[in-house]
Amino acid sequence: MTMNIPRLSPTVDDTAAELSPTEQRAARRQHMGRRRLYTRRFLRNKGALAGMVILAALVGFALLGGLVTPYDYADVDFTSLTSAPSSEHLFGTNGTGNDTFAQSAHGLQRSLVIALVVSLLTTLIAAFVGAAAAYFRGTTEKLVLGLVHFLLVVPSFLILALVSQKAGGDWRVLILVFTSLGWMYNARVVWSLSTSLREREYVQAARFMGVGSVRIVLRHLIPNIGSLLIVTFTLGVVATVQTETALSFIGFGVQPPDVSLGTMLSDGANSITSAPWLFYFPAALLTLLTISIALIGDGLRDALDPTSRSGGRA
Amino acid sequence: MIVVATNLTYFLANLFLDPRANYLQLRPPRTPEQIARSLAQYHLDPNTPLLQRWWDWISGIVLRWDWGYSPIGESVNTQIAFRVGVSAQLVVFSLVLSTSIGIALGVYTASRQYRFADRFHQGLSIITLNIPIVVASLVVVLLAIVLNQSLGSTLLYVAGAQSPTISGFWPTVVDRIQHLVLPTISLTMISYAGYHLLQRSLLLDNINSDYVRMARAKGLTRQVAIRRHGLRTSLIPVATSIAFAIPALFTGAVLTETIFAWQGMGQYLIQTISKNDVHGAVAVAAFGALMTAVGAILADIAVVVLDPRVRVTGP
Repeated sequence: MTMNIPRLSPTVDDTAAELSPTEQRAARRQHMGRRRLYTRRFLRNKGALAGMVILAALVGFALLGGLVTPYDYADVDFTSLTSAPSSEHLFGTNGTGNDTFAQSAHGLQRSLVIALVVSLLTTLIAAFVGAAAAYFRGTTEKLVLGLVHFLLVVPSFLILALVSQKAGGDWRVLILVFTSLGWMYNARVVWSLSTSLREREYVQAARFMGVGSVRIVLRHLIPNIGSLLIVTFTLGVVATVQTETALSFIGFGVQPPDVSLGTMLSDGANSITSAPWLFYFPAALLTLLTISIALIGDGLRDALDPTSRSGGRA
Repeated sequence: MIVVATNLTYFLANLFLDPRANYLQLRPPRTPEQIARSLAQYHLDPNTPLLQRWWDWISGIVLRWDWGYSPIGESVNTQIAFRVGVSAQLVVFSLVLSTSIGIALGVYTASRQYRFADRFHQGLSIITLNIPIVVASLVVVLLAIVLNQSLGSTLLYVAGAQSPTISGFWPTVVDRIQHLVLPTISLTMISYAGYHLLQRSLLLDNINSDYVRMARAKGLTRQVAIRRHGLRTSLIPVATSIAFAIPALFTGAVLTETIFAWQGMGQYLIQTISKNDVHGAVAVAAFGALMTAVGAILADIAVVVLDPRVRVTGP
């Protein structure tokens, strides 16, 4: 049963040449096997597959949408103010004559970039801080947990609103603020998982072999909660998109002239009966975005977690 | 914890909000000295040292339960007292609705795992859980407008908590309900799905446990066994999550209150920040922290009520 799957046959490369042939084969088989298993489980989930397709379409729209229309998101067309969708302006224009199609592409791009970067950073920080706190124990653990609990009580929405209003809606500042207030809960989850991992034999063995502390945290603790981190990352994207659009909607997030889906929704809400297209397009894009990523997150969790039986979100 | 968090917010708010901005646009223009004098009576003058202002503010709270004034002289106490009531109507109704719908759906779908009803409701819940709040509320508004237009009269109001010209007891009640329906629907719509999915997965873990099988062996029907024996254990984590959702609901109704123009706590939060009202913003933060504490206590009480194992160690 070892060699009859074509993809699994050993292809020798330079880095693996030092290992004996059997070791090398074993390592490769296990590695590929796991990845294949995850891929197959993921693809079996139709919702996740649909989410993938929708997300790919959205990313394509965000990246290439600006090229389709001759208008830039900041361009103003004074000959057509608040005009309904037409061949000239695919999604219509808003009250100041901005092309809604170009704005949608740009706003989607803005929302996506903020959400992806923030979620990536918070996941990395949470993983490192949580695992390190569990590994070092003692005072470090107490200090980190104290900080985490304190930051969880602090009214984060208020601070978000305060800081981003002061910053004038620069999206880079938004990323910074979201990240610094978003890592605590996940860090606590990572910490509670790592407290059992730190007692494992391979961690003990690594320590007795003289492996450095930081290296143990990075190479032995964090990879073992990798599946959790991937799921956390996708769910973090959804949460960040929601928070960002909420803040922008009430006027504390991204500020004009920059555009995000939240500011577009706020425009659309004011003219929901007279110019509904200003609401429909950003609302549809936003809903598709959050639902597709949530579906992918669900599929990933089911694929990565062998004990997940109910298949529901918890 | 509440005290520390509140004081931290006070310093942060002072760092980021400048009450002088409220006076800069008045006509005729005020001199900096005039502005400072107006602000000084509310302990907001940026020229007095921060620690001095902080002392005046905190001693006002401790000695007289006076949470200070906004830059234009409105008392924070009256504002909060009024708005808590408004928010409470919204939050209580939608909390009751969303938990009862969520738990009922969870039980219903868990006992029909992987059948059509289960898959249908699960798909629906995943969608409603991830619909952005703004989009959900605005869709509710749109539908209501369409409904009102087709009826030719205003059946459901899309803005405000009450009409100003109503008198008499029953007309007032009807009027309140007409205003309350839409925000409650939109709040319920976004929050029931979380309880549904949580309840479903917890109940599924319990349905196959020994004590539920034991109850079946005693001769109870499957439905009764699930409801009497399975549900009780799986309600514990759900009750905890509901209790902790209360503070989030109070300030988290920000968007709903903005869209439906309710003068509640969430809307106050936005207003205080955009109007540089330091004391108001801090009071909202303190209220949020207090609600978190109340939620934690409620969660403990719920666990004691539901879980007999916890009571064993009690008096």
